Amino acid sequence: MIEIEHLTRRYGSTVVVDDVSLRVEEGAIAVVVGTSGAGKSTLLRMINRLVEPSAGRVLIDGQDTRTVPEDELRHRIGYVIQGYGLFPHRTVAENIATVPRLLGWGSKRIAARVNELLDLFQLDPAEFARKFPHQLSGGQQQRVGVARALAARPALLLMDEPFGALDAVIRAKAQEDLLAIQRRLGTTIVLVTHDMNEAFQLGDRIAVMDQARLLQYATPTELLTRPAEDFVERLVGTVERPFRLLSLTGVQAALEPGGAEGEPIALSDNLQNALSQLVWSGRESLPVADPNGVIVGRISVGGILAHGRPPA
Amino acid sequence: MRPLRSGLPLDPLGSVIAILIGVALLAAPFVTYRANRIVSGEGRMLAEALPVLVAAAVFAVAFGAGLAAALIRNPLARLAAALVGLAAIFPAVGLSAVFLTPSGNSFARISPSVGFWLLTLSFALLAADSLTRLRLGPWARLAALATAFGAVALLLLSGAWDGLSILKEYATRSDSFWREARQHLFLALGSLAAACLVGLPLGMLCHRVRALRAGILQALNVIQTIPSIALFGLLMVPLGTLAAASPLAAGLGIRGIGAAPALLALFLYSLLPIVANTVLGLNQVPAVVVDAARGMGLSARQRLVQIEIPLSLPIILAGIRIVLVQNLGLATVAALIGGGGFGTFVFQGIGQSAIDLVLLGAIPTVALSFAAAIILDAATELAKGSA
Amino acid sequence: MSAFSILTRGLALFMLAVFIFAPQLFAFAFEPLTANNAPAIYNQGSLLSLTLSHLRIVVGATLASTVVAVALGIFVTRPAGLDFLPLSRSLVNVGQTFPPIAVLAIAVPLVGFGEKPTFIALFLYGLLPIFENTLSGLTQVSPLTLEAAKGMGMSPRQRLFQIELPLALPVILTGIRLSVIISLGTATIGSTVAAKGLGEVIIAGLQSNNVAFILQGGLVVALLAVLIHDGLSVAERAVARRLGRPADETT
Repeated sequence: MIEIEHLTRRYGSTVVVDDVSLRVEEGAIAVVVGTSGAGKSTLLRMINRLVEPSAGRVLIDGQDTRTVPEDELRHRIGYVIQGYGLFPHRTVAENIATVPRLLGWGSKRIAARVNELLDLFQLDPAEFARKFPHQLSGGQQQRVGVARALAARPALLLMDEPFGALDAVIRAKAQEDLLAIQRRLGTTIVLVTHDMNEAFQLGDRIAVMDQARLLQYATPTELLTRPAEDFVERLVGTVERPFRLLSLTGVQAALEPGGAEGEPIALSDNLQNALSQLVWSGRESLPVADPNGVIVGRISVGGILAHGRPPA
Repeated sequence: MRPLRSGLPLDPLGSVIAILIGVALLAAPFVTYRANRIVSGEGRMLAEALPVLVAAAVFAVAFGAGLAAALIRNPLARLAAALVGLAAIFPAVGLSAVFLTPSGNSFARISPSVGFWLLTLSFALLAADSLTRLRLGPWARLAALATAFGAVALLLLSGAWDGLSILKEYATRSDSFWREARQHLFLALGSLAAACLVGLPLGMLCHRVRALRAGILQALNVIQTIPSIALFGLLMVPLGTLAAASPLAAGLGIRGIGAAPALLALFLYSLLPIVANTVLGLNQVPAVVVDAARGMGLSARQRLVQIEIPLSLPIILAGIRIVLVQNLGLATVAALIGGGGFGTFVFQGIGQSAIDLVLLGAIPTVALSFAAAIILDAATELAKGSA
Repeated sequence: MSAFSILTRGLALFMLAVFIFAPQLFAFAFEPLTANNAPAIYNQGSLLSLTLSHLRIVVGATLASTVVAVALGIFVTRPAGLDFLPLSRSLVNVGQTFPPIAVLAIAVPLVGFGEKPTFIALFLYGLLPIFENTLSGLTQVSPLTLEAAKGMGMSPRQRLFQIELPLALPVILTGIRLSVIISLGTATIGSTVAAKGLGEVIIAGLQSNNVAFILQGGLVVALLAVLIHDGLSVAERAVARRLGRPADETT
């Protein structure tokens, strides 16, 4: 768990981060969004002390980060930046081994860990371990960047626009992969982005920043249904709002008893996708199937729409 | 972020300069006195080298400039301090020569010594640092250069330095000085002009015909690697043979020794930077720009003249700068094979162990290269601005 | 490298070695150039010992320049030395307008004739390209790479030795190569101030009007320089490849 308490950073008379407090639970993903210059990156960089706070403090599992030597602190926190900053003169394996080597792990343990991570990120060790960064595609570089950050099993991962350099198709896949890996490892993640879709897709909670201040820190649903300020409302997008809300709600919520004609919808899917299928098939309702293919009920356009607006 | 400083806010570079000035003032002789041209000299400290009041004034000015360097961060103020310092010591060294030379003695030699050179170095460093931090534009830099040369010319013409040893060397050979100066410029600029005439078209050819590029650049690279004396020597042989075999060539002044092999060698050395930078310059012209020009119906010739050459001009000029500075320096070596130039004085000076004679050849060479570098840097920047 | 270029290099090296060890074998080739029964092959000292002292002074001076220039380059790019960075850049610029001969000539009255002034000139002039390249090598390391290194908890020392210097190494090596080539040439001129070296052969030829001396001296010096330049370029490319960079085209 990390607790950010009244964190402030000033450069001369300019305040870049203004009295921000928030808490990220163990194993959760917190996404910080905002326009460029809002202070998101500075907030992130104060967590691993790449930027020293002017005031306030950060606690990681109850321990004040100022009591830990800087480098030691950073060994324990994974860090991924836009463009990744892979070391061009080191192979993929050497890049991933960076922090374990700094920590003095034995070479066998390092080799085993590198292979484990390469497998986890679907990079065949036999093919990729000895390659240099310039020989990788953008998506592969991104995966190596994340693998490198996870090498020493940090409990916390900081990510600054980690998907910013990827094109749309690869980005969606990379986001899914990250979610899967995060669920598996239980790593706590703080991620900075300016992409609202990314925030809604990844965030357990979303922190909205503007002009150095934290405007709202809440779950995605809350952000949509109870925006704290006009700015938040505009940022989440009044046009996309209902669809984002539907995408956050599972099919289960609008499940009705009975049956219907047509291609069944998976129970694990979300309401946005269900609506999309309904519109496309031109039907009022479609059957819903559980993971075993058993029809458990149906879903209708009217039932879905009721979930696309804030509860009265 | 600057770390917090405690106590006096000392500027690190300024402090080093201040220490240099302190050493120069307190621990090093200001001028050297020699009974005649050849004997070894003895140092004279600032206090002995000038009338008491003048010495005190120079000391005060230099000391003040040192303090300013250490304490003041404003580059304009530092520049002013450096210039005041130079304005104090330059005339002072000339005055010292008059002061120390016994009247009616034409053998005694006074030359600037370690202290003077250290002070000059300190003030020059301070001025250079301030000018760098001021980020002057190209015209301002040219004006500064002109001012500096004007000031030195004024000192020379006023006769303020006539008592100094180096100017006595000049006085006894003023005719040959200007002859060698012309020869030096002829060698450096003539070879540059020839290299431009050949190198620019060759560069364009290399740009067009990829197959030629690697071979030509590699050959020029090999030439560039050969030490100057060796290349001069290697060229003497075929030129000598040519002169012996053909009276016509000999009539044109082509001989084994002298200016011909030097000029040819400098020309060959010049080719690599010019050809390589022409290729580089043309290569970095964005393909879309050339494509757009083609799309608007510009002919190959029009594209070259109106688009490609103007856009690659800064890089080509950078090549010419390299060549000019390099040639002005290398032309000194030409004297070894009878090619003349300022090197004549340098090698004569080495032969006679007369440092003033060496300096008579070396200082103008350095001044020329320095001026050439500044002028062409400014031209490159102007070309960049207009391209 | 093609078989042809390996062959030419090997042949050039072989010829050079034979000539240095047994120059008399080539006397027949130089005889037509002599007049008045002058010797065809340099006879005032062995070519081998001249070559060795030539190389010794170049290697010694280059090592000294490398140590000093790299240390200075590191210093002015650390936080403590940043105040010196702008000036050191302009100094390098100005320094390169000094012809090496001027440095050599000015050193003579200060330290006397012989190897000393040559060593000083070689050392001082050799500093410039190495310092300049160390600077550009260190400053062109991507800020992203350094940010990542810092974010992973590398200390300033670890960043310097594990990231910055390895990444700057190819550029620094290029500087050393330039420095060696300039030094080989300046050492040749050093013979005018009585430093032992291959320039002696050419100077002797100039003084006694013996074209054969000039030609053989010129050939040996030229071949030596070209081969050394070539060897260093190959080494540079090998290092660049080991450091995971596609081999740069030589310029």
